[in-house]
Amino acid sequence: MGKKKFLGGKNSNAYIVFYSTVMVVIVAILLAFTSLSLKEKQNANELNEKKDAIAASLGLGKGSYDSVIEAYVVNKEGQVISTTDTPLQKLFDLTGSFAKGEFPVFENKSTGEIVFPLTGKGLWDDIWGYVALEADLNTIKGAIFDHAGETPGLGAEIATAKYQAQFPGQTIYEGDQLVGIYVVKGGAQGAAHSVDAVTGGTKTSEGLQKMIKECLDNYDAFLKARKANVVTENAE
Amino acid sequence: MKNKTFQSLTNPLAKNNPVLVQILGICSALAVTTQLKPALVMGLSVTAVCAFSNLVLSLLRNGIPDRIRIIVQLVVIAALVTIVNDILKAYVYDVSKQLSVYVGLIITNCIIMGRVEAFALSNKPLPSLLDGIGNGLGYGAVLVIIGFVRELFGNGSLFGYQIIPECFYEAGYVNNGLMLFPPAALIIVGIIIWVHRTTNKDLQEK
Repeated sequence: MGKKKFLGGKNSNAYIVFYSTVMVVIVAILLAFTSLSLKEKQNANELNEKKDAIAASLGLGKGSYDSVIEAYVVNKEGQVISTTDTPLQKLFDLTGSFAKGEFPVFENKSTGEIVFPLTGKGLWDDIWGYVALEADLNTIKGAIFDHAGETPGLGAEIATAKYQAQFPGQTIYEGDQLVGIYVVKGGAQGAAHSVDAVTGGTKTSEGLQKMIKECLDNYDAFLKARKANVVTENAE
Repeated sequence: MKNKTFQSLTNPLAKNNPVLVQILGICSALAVTTQLKPALVMGLSVTAVCAFSNLVLSLLRNGIPDRIRIIVQLVVIAALVTIVNDILKAYVYDVSKQLSVYVGLIITNCIIMGRVEAFALSNKPLPSLLDGIGNGLGYGAVLVIIGFVRELFGNGSLFGYQIIPECFYEAGYVNNGLMLFPPAALIIVGIIIWVHRTTNKDLQEK
């Protein structure tokens, strides 16, 4: 043979270090490239999913978002602070935009029904959803929930149509007080503002109740201001 | 020689099927087969990953240091799976949501590393590529059979389209709920293995 081996042969330490370094750099470049080139398409898919979820909470079909919904952002006092800074984008970091005092609102232009986004914690991971209110701003028209990692068959049941069917018709105000929806263990049995908890999903149910109340609280001022408006408009 | 190369493609489809004979990849065969569509996509994804990991590692086989052999295999497989996952997310978003964590788990699917260790590291690129495709398709075929049975009897549909007509339900037919649970997949795999061994007498243990 007599040929000098590169870095002392295949099993020398120098060769192994060299080999792994080169391999990792190549793989990193490759992955960064695919991730960047597909990012736009993936984001578009996620955005469509969010649009469809908002439409679904209003009982509308897929793809109807663009023709029906008018979206804007309100602040804690209920004033519209932005109509241009795409409220949909806020959904990608809803917790962050809630913390900044920016609350996206999705309104059905023709009927005055309003959809609010929700975000919270279940047992294992994030849960989120959308609640649609009728034009009376009190009665729930529809609700959609989803989760990142709740237990299938137990907590994950909140994402099923069967569970969500309990929400339409419930009201979130008791007089002037925003109470949200009580998620009652052992069954709501027709009590006001209440739905059944998920069997075997106590922590998820508690998270759901907390999420609905806390997120809707952000919109309390907005809802009250809007109701006052509706009343005065009717009076005129 | 030509014949032998070709056999590395056809063997895993029947005689040496990864699921039925090597008993590899059972875990994901239970998890993603409640419906036909994710089963099919999973089968194709594993085929792609298995084929390319076999090809890449067979090309690299003379340069890979023995001591970090497994690490190199894992890096290549993990990179391929990440790429497949990105592609699924971009082009078949709803399916990628359904497959969720199982795409990531392709990395740990024993078929892939098993074929790399057993075949690709000691064979030329072309037969390795064919072996990868063959094993992926062999796995996919079993998944599709299970998915077919489970969706048809569990939901009365195929690819999401209703197959069993409404009048059956009105006459008292009920979907079999067991089909939607993992044990059903195990039972179906068992039945397929039974049929497979009955027709391939040389596979039967004495």
